Amino acid sequence: MLKRRGTIAFFLSLSLFIVILFYVIPLALTVYISFTPMKNWNVPRYLTEFVSVKNYHRLFHLLKFDPDTRNVVLTTIVFVLFTLTINVLGGLGLALATYFIDEKLSATYQVLWLLPRMTPVAVYSLLWYYFLHPTTLGILNSILMSLGVIKAPVDIGMDPALMPWGAWSVIIFVNGLVGVSYGMIILYSAFKSIPRELIIASRVDGASTWHIIRKILIPLSKWHITFVTVWQLLSLLTSYAHTFLLVEWRIVDPSWGQPWALYVFNTAFVGAKDQGLAAAAAVILSIIGILLGILALKVLGYEKMMTEPRGDI
Amino acid sequence: MDRRWGIILALVMAFSVLAGCVGGGGGGTIEIPELTGNFEEDVINLGKFFESQGISTIKYTVWAAGDPNSIMRIYGVVEGAHRINKIFEDNNINVKITIEHYWEDSFSSLYSKFLSSVPQGTNGDFFVNSYVYIANLAEEGYILDITEYANKYSSVLDDFYAPLLEAAKYKGKYYGIPQDTEARPLYIRKDVAKAMGWDLTGLAEKVKNGEFTWYDDYQKAKEAVEGGYANWGVIHRKGSAHPDLMQFIFAFGGRLYDENTGKLVVDREALYKWFMVEYRMAQDGLIPKDMMSWDWGQQIHPTVVGEKDNPSNTLFYIGGTWQWTEWQTKAYYKDPQKGESRPLTPAEVQAKMYYTLFPAGEPGKSPVTLSQPFMWMIASNAGKDNDKYDELKEAYHKLAFLIIIAASDPEINAIHSVISGHVPVRREATALLNDENWTNKLINLELDLSSNVLDAIKDIIKSTADPINIKFLANVSYMLDYTHFAPSHPYYPKLADILKDAIDKVLRGAMTPEDAVNYVVQKVEADPDLKDNTEIIGEIPEGWHFP
Repeated sequence: MLKRRGTIAFFLSLSLFIVILFYVIPLALTVYISFTPMKNWNVPRYLTEFVSVKNYHRLFHLLKFDPDTRNVVLTTIVFVLFTLTINVLGGLGLALATYFIDEKLSATYQVLWLLPRMTPVAVYSLLWYYFLHPTTLGILNSILMSLGVIKAPVDIGMDPALMPWGAWSVIIFVNGLVGVSYGMIILYSAFKSIPRELIIASRVDGASTWHIIRKILIPLSKWHITFVTVWQLLSLLTSYAHTFLLVEWRIVDPSWGQPWALYVFNTAFVGAKDQGLAAAAAVILSIIGILLGILALKVLGYEKMMTEPRGDI
Repeated sequence: MDRRWGIILALVMAFSVLAGCVGGGGGGTIEIPELTGNFEEDVINLGKFFESQGISTIKYTVWAAGDPNSIMRIYGVVEGAHRINKIFEDNNINVKITIEHYWEDSFSSLYSKFLSSVPQGTNGDFFVNSYVYIANLAEEGYILDITEYANKYSSVLDDFYAPLLEAAKYKGKYYGIPQDTEARPLYIRKDVAKAMGWDLTGLAEKVKNGEFTWYDDYQKAKEAVEGGYANWGVIHRKGSAHPDLMQFIFAFGGRLYDENTGKLVVDREALYKWFMVEYRMAQDGLIPKDMMSWDWGQQIHPTVVGEKDNPSNTLFYIGGTWQWTEWQTKAYYKDPQKGESRPLTPAEVQAKMYYTLFPAGEPGKSPVTLSQPFMWMIASNAGKDNDKYDELKEAYHKLAFLIIIAASDPEINAIHSVISGHVPVRREATALLNDENWTNKLINLELDLSSNVLDAIKDIIKSTADPINIKFLANVSYMLDYTHFAPSHPYYPKLADILKDAIDKVLRGAMTPEDAVNYVVQKVEADPDLKDNTEIIGEIPEGWHFP
């Protein structure tokens, strides 16, 4: 028994060390900084100065009275919900599509969908910049104008008449395209791990493709779908890189294109460089992330997945 | 045995005494020479001091930013160090200063970089940037309080224009020495005006007397666009770091700072009038609605100097004096004959651009301009990359100060003014610009500069050192009598960001001027710290119309 525990401890220690070093300590530091007046990177000056809950008070004051900070909350909710839906359902759809087509064609198709993820963030965002540019320089505008769909260029992400959905649609679509390939790869692998005999037998029994999807592929990939959903949910809550560039380049309205993670980044490193306030916002985001993660795992039956298989199976 | 220990003890004591003497002071303390105000004497004293400490090379780094023609912000320091090295050499002092440099186009980006670098000790020793950052940098202890040194050099500082020296202070103390300043004229395209049949003769005088206001600007801009003479009526700069648009607040009699309380001011009436001017112009197609997103090199400058529909042009441009020479060195003008972009010649810029003060907002108000002097600042850890820094910190700081005194030489300042279109900060530099002998020497590159500095700037001198440009600087210098400064306050960048967002929403039509004023007030009041540092005054005027 002792030997077994020692083996478990040995194998767990490395991962535990990494988790403590890269997750627990940064989180503890963030919590710590949120109680200091840290700003302008002045660590030596502010690290030992405490302001109690002042940063949290400021944050809630901003949430109550600042229209742009309120927009951040709304944008985060819409951005996460819609992008998550695209990521999970899109990933599922692509995985199914590639599962049922010829293997060589499937590989090419998957590589194409992986391109947004493989492309460096700045390059990918730049492509979107030129695609959505609100003049005739913009590819989308020039196509729509040449087709006679619009008479003058449209500024989808910035035009007040299209707010807030104009800005939201851009950040959702751009991030959705990046994330969709992740679900595709995981779920495609899941489908491939299902014994081929099951599919062949169901075909022999006269099952349609729709039946195979509904009755075999999705039920047997439930845990993978759970994983993709929870993973993407937490990723989206904290992702900001693509959105940051689109907002910075004014392709997206800053008032409606700033999810909470980007608000944290901008508050800490752009403009006011108010790292104490940003840390308070990051702590709130971490708490929400942890709660949502637990909730999602509960709803999707994570405990059931982790239960050891019964002996009679 | 006892005898042997006695000898060792005596040797140790003798060595200690000797080390104390070599260290420059008795009793083991290092006495760093005081500054006297005599430049050469101070350089020699410090040079000998460093030599006595075994320091033979001293490295500093200068960080500067700005338009491409303003590279004397770097090379001024390089030249200053060169001149000090020359004094060392002439006096057989074996010490040499080397300067490394780093340049960024965006001075707000450089400011951010400086903020994050100081705590890590990776910052530049000299920081050449706008005075608006002095308040924050001084509050954080990132830049050196040079009051004591500056007072010793009052004979030099007395030659600087007084308002600029005030801008170098924060809470009564000096944190920088003025490097350059500028005016922000309203440029009017002569060719567009001519096509409209608008005679510009005497306009600058009318603007000066408040007889030509933004009401008239609106009418002329409308005439230019509706008559098909120009694509746009007005083009202006973008971003919160650029205070150009704050001129509207002053032109409508408003203010941004209360000297009595030391607080920022949000003046509802002036804000409303500014927003209304831009709102009407954007709604009427005279200013691009997405003006705040325009690209400098691709859109703003090509339009300011461009031809109608090639790529586009404008009647008015709210710009700065430094752009006069920038148009001569950067390929912004799309030549209709060659179909390629190229810089303009001084004569072409003169032929295209008329300039006036920024007109009064409305009858009864005064014209304005706005200056944002750049400062030579010294980082509080200047000299950090050198030997014995902890012991000799003060000496490194003093030497850094002497380098910026050398970099403030009238000739260096005058060269910078000519090649970058900035206004001199010293009377002696202004005198050089009016000295034909000196301007001829400049044009013929007969300057007493180190070879590497001359090599670095000779191409810019060749394309900009022209009597037309020198005359331009002389012609705009009167504008400094009308100048205003944006507040030097730690929270001003935050307020400027809010104003930038508000004007962007106004231009795009996302907010009416009234909504935008309320938005600014709401944003200020939503931030407890900003609220404590800001006064909100005035009311949105009822029955006020524009145009």
